[in-house]
Amino acid sequence: MRGCGAMDEQAVTIAGLALGTFAIRLGGYLLGARMPATGPWERVLRALPGCLIAALLATILVQAGPAEWGAAAVSLAVALLSRNLPLTMVAGVAAVYLLRGLV
Amino acid sequence: MPDAPEPSNAAQEFRAGLRDITPLSFGVAVYGLAFGLLAAGQGMGALATGLMGATVFAGSAQIVAVERLAAGSGAVLAVIAGLALNLRILLMTASLRRELSGRPLWQVVLGVHLTSDENWVLMHATRTKGWAAGYWYLVGGGVSLIAVWVAATALGAGFARALPDLGASGMDFAFAAAFILLLTSLWQGRRSLPPWIVSAGVAAGCVLVLPVDPSWGLIAGAVAGAGVAGLRRDG
Repeated sequence: MRGCGAMDEQAVTIAGLALGTFAIRLGGYLLGARMPATGPWERVLRALPGCLIAALLATILVQAGPAEWGAAAVSLAVALLSRNLPLTMVAGVAAVYLLRGLV
Repeated sequence: MPDAPEPSNAAQEFRAGLRDITPLSFGVAVYGLAFGLLAAGQGMGALATGLMGATVFAGSAQIVAVERLAAGSGAVLAVIAGLALNLRILLMTASLRRELSGRPLWQVVLGVHLTSDENWVLMHATRTKGWAAGYWYLVGGGVSLIAVWVAATALGAGFARALPDLGASGMDFAFAAAFILLLTSLWQGRRSLPPWIVSAGVAAGCVLVLPVDPSWGLIAGAVAGAGVAGLRRDG
């Protein structure tokens, strides 16, 4: 199934992401002096990561079922209680494994 | 290094950064192994995965991009989704003006490339305790993180072939759980909620109603949500 097309797609993705990310990193430094510390654009940039993650989780969960919804609830509880990344990942994986066996 | 200022302090700060980041590097190792498995599922080998880790060095963006490839969205959408997530780094390096100004170009390039959530946050956290933590502290943490990230992702990709189907084991849910934790860490009180609700609602609506690739819904949702944050005055 995966021939040259998949390889090219990977190479383009890696190169595009590497160049784009470096441009963002250097651009931030170059813009540093001119960027307003307050105002609407600063709020937009600051809110963007959280909004993107909320959108990502929404697209994952509307395409999933009860097992994933339950595991998401378990993950949220563990995340809020532990604030620990590896533990939250393990809890989410364990919950979805068990719930897929049940549902 | 012709005119490195205060070499002993620089070396001390570098070592302190290297040491203090260790607990966070463990988290990155787990995250990296799981990313390697995801990448292997897309047919990426250890070399390509390690190369991606070294040149991009932005975990969540790499995951989103490879997930988009797995969903069949194509390279362009994968790159756009990943870069959108990385726009937050613009704010982080913009805040490094004091650390980076007056340094030779190679140090600026090194500093911005090694800036990630973990060492940037650690630098500020250490400073609030009243300890010295500047450029070399940031770089020390970054060197540890990039080494662990490249090694863990390449190992995950290299050993994935020896493992059975991951969908059945629930490993595919690891990043959904990771993103849930990331979202809770971005919570800044109630004002965070309206942009997130708008973003999630628009994205879910696009996926359910429109016959287009979910990546567009994701981007539309994020732009709508961030727009709401920009229009509000209590941010």
